[in-house]
Amino acid sequence: MKEKPVKGERRVFMTGNEVCAWAALAADADIMFGYPITPQTDIMQYWTRLAPKYGKKFLQTEDEISAGFTTLGAVIAGKRAFSATTGPGNVLFQEPMSMAEMMRIPVVLIIPMRGGPSTATVIYSQQEVTMTAFGGNGEGFRVVYSTAGHQDLYDYTIKAFNTAWKYRFPTFVLSDGYQGKMRESLTIYDPAERGIEMVKAEPMLGLPGIPGVDRPTRHLRNTYNTEEELYEVVMQIARDFEKAAPEIVEWQDFDTDSEMDVLILAHGVVSRAAQGALPLLKNEGIKAGHFRPITLRPMPEEQMRAAAARANRVVVVESAYGQFLKLVKETLYGMDKPIDAILRPGVGITAEEIVAEIKERR
Amino acid sequence: MYYNSSAHWGLKWDMRIVEAFIGEYASGKSENAINRALELLRQNRQVTIVDLDTVEPFYTLRPLKKKLEQLGLRVIAWDPAETTGLGEAGSLINQQMIWALRNEGDIILDIGYGAHGARILNLVEGAQDDPDLRLLVVVNIARPMTASVEDIVQYVQGLGTVHGLINNSHLGNETTLDIIQDGAVMVTEAARILQLPVIYTAVAREFAHLIGPHDKAGNPVKIIELFMHEAYW
Amino acid sequence: MAKETIALTPAMPKCWNPDSKPHKFCPGCGHGLTLKMLGQAIDELGIQDKVIFGCDIGCSLLSWDFFNVDSVQTHHGRTTPVITGIKRARPELIGIAYMGDGGGYAIGAQHLVNAATRNEKITAILINNTNYGMTGGQMAPTTLPGQITETTPFGRDPEDSGYPTMGPEMVAAIAREGAYVARGSMANLRQLKRFLKKALENQMEGNGFSFVEVLSSCPTNWRTNAEATWRFVEKDMAEHFPVGEFKVPGKKEEK
Repeated sequence: MKEKPVKGERRVFMTGNEVCAWAALAADADIMFGYPITPQTDIMQYWTRLAPKYGKKFLQTEDEISAGFTTLGAVIAGKRAFSATTGPGNVLFQEPMSMAEMMRIPVVLIIPMRGGPSTATVIYSQQEVTMTAFGGNGEGFRVVYSTAGHQDLYDYTIKAFNTAWKYRFPTFVLSDGYQGKMRESLTIYDPAERGIEMVKAEPMLGLPGIPGVDRPTRHLRNTYNTEEELYEVVMQIARDFEKAAPEIVEWQDFDTDSEMDVLILAHGVVSRAAQGALPLLKNEGIKAGHFRPITLRPMPEEQMRAAAARANRVVVVESAYGQFLKLVKETLYGMDKPIDAILRPGVGITAEEIVAEIKERR
Repeated sequence: MYYNSSAHWGLKWDMRIVEAFIGEYASGKSENAINRALELLRQNRQVTIVDLDTVEPFYTLRPLKKKLEQLGLRVIAWDPAETTGLGEAGSLINQQMIWALRNEGDIILDIGYGAHGARILNLVEGAQDDPDLRLLVVVNIARPMTASVEDIVQYVQGLGTVHGLINNSHLGNETTLDIIQDGAVMVTEAARILQLPVIYTAVAREFAHLIGPHDKAGNPVKIIELFMHEAYW
Repeated sequence: MAKETIALTPAMPKCWNPDSKPHKFCPGCGHGLTLKMLGQAIDELGIQDKVIFGCDIGCSLLSWDFFNVDSVQTHHGRTTPVITGIKRARPELIGIAYMGDGGGYAIGAQHLVNAATRNEKITAILINNTNYGMTGGQMAPTTLPGQITETTPFGRDPEDSGYPTMGPEMVAAIAREGAYVARGSMANLRQLKRFLKKALENQMEGNGFSFVEVLSSCPTNWRTNAEATWRFVEKDMAEHFPVGEFKVPGKKEEK
């Protein structure tokens, strides 16, 4: 039996990208495919340094389209495979992810977001929300976890494998350049020690026995002949998605149990700023609460609506120009709530900035 | 040439200090390099600090260039504004870095991490023959790849000739005295196996009163100020 | 960085953009020398007003404002198709697609292959320095066996990731009559300039696809001093990547 990369649990000091590589090891992932793109490259660089020691595999592909399809191939063959990308690479990944959506292939993709559109910056943004949740030519039957720090990155990278393999939707760990490069301490652990059982990776093709003789042959496709056929297929995926949603959704709320002047909605690393803003707003006499969706897909709709119901108004804060705002508006549709937005595409947001904006718009 | 670790503290005026800080990713090289440069500056010495990190585009000296220059250091590094618009990492070498060792006075080199170890020094003119150049390895035992005595020894051996170790063990905001002292013990044991001196144990100011002038293993304690949290990009 | 007076430095090609000099390429980088040869070729052919210069993502990106020639920085690997589009829309222009090993042999390989197959009348110039420099030194298709990079920290194992891509050989094999294909080296600048000029003339004459790979240095990511850098380009790389012309219009191919 090969040596376990993470035994027991211990407190360590790491960068976010490193955390993802270690979490994938702890989750017993088998193989990573990828193409260099800042600020994701360290995930690959750490994996290549650690892989030989634990019998793991790696391939640097010719581009992100290939990285996506090779990952799908490995998953189809029954191995826990994953990749990582960002920005223009994420754009290229939409083609393979569409195939994963249609064919219910349990792929895991880690995305430390950078500026957009196009090459933009290598630094940070929250501008890949729309693309990650609804990209490709599909309906967005995907699971997207938006992490807010290193412990999240570790916990949710491990969880992503289980969510993907249990429910069979492409599953994304959406972080950003800041998280990828920031240094923080966290607890890394062997999932088994915490009672987390890794969902077994079963092959879709290449099962034992002679096809057609010992077992039914597996014929996989993603193309259909008639509209009606397609309708049935997509509606079935939709039903599965709706059924799984309540089991998958995750969120955090802060001070939302009682009536609020303002409810702050934010995700990912911006949530940390929102949390920091609450006590500052309290000092200014503004009763504020914060709701943080952890899954952007599926969105914790019921819970967000319940929190919004107790606020006079809602303020959405994001490092993009309305990508999260759109999801919020859709979620809160029908509620008579003023919705305001602090939009900073590609730029980090501090607690103080949030407080200043909310005060100004009082 | 015998490296006398106490000479690190009892500086002779005419002795030229040339130190390269090297270590694993996020081990604390830049933080220690900056503190060493400022320590020498406070003794009215002329000091140049050089950014030689070509692998990591974030977390380098670059964003601190103006601030460090205002404190009196000569800083050889790109200004982030000069590298923006390039889209990708923009981690490049320039002529000033190549000729860094020709500067008057003391020179502190911040060497990035990477598969090539300390070999970036091949690009610095005169590095091979400089009699004063010392390579100091910064170690944080909270970093998983240098978390045991064997790992530390193996890592340091992979770097080729080095002259000393620095215990920089910490957990960021969650640092406790224990991790610092555990690091001191582990790094000292590794140093013993490698037959290298431990130059000091680095300690943030808030722990100074808890630890005193020496760590558990008897190494000198050096109080360091933290700058790198402002050096994100 | 303060602009140095140019009094004592050798003359810059006329078509260079003085405002972006001194350039930001690392000292010892092959890009600087190649772009100088290209600049001289453009000057000698008198086509400064006709050239459209496209560059890729990576260190070639630093050439985006290098020339006083209309230029466009594209996406990674997409310089070939962008210049193809420009040329097809305006055949009187001279399209130069400038890229690195990733932009031509990895993510851009399909575009290179198809431009060659269709005999697109553009000039593609590819800098081969055996690694992905700008992003910190990862493996490239041209990384040599055993070479250490950030994604081959234990050395490239050809059993695992194959042997270095032989680009001009591949392009020459699939290109049609009218194409010009060569591999030059910064170790022989006179020859390199000759190849670049012929590659541009081939486009000016409307013959077909022109492609020049340039063996180039990256001391920063190779971590080599001047002597070792030159040795790597002149000896190690030339052993794997033969220098010369692989396809010349009109010349019968040696079988």
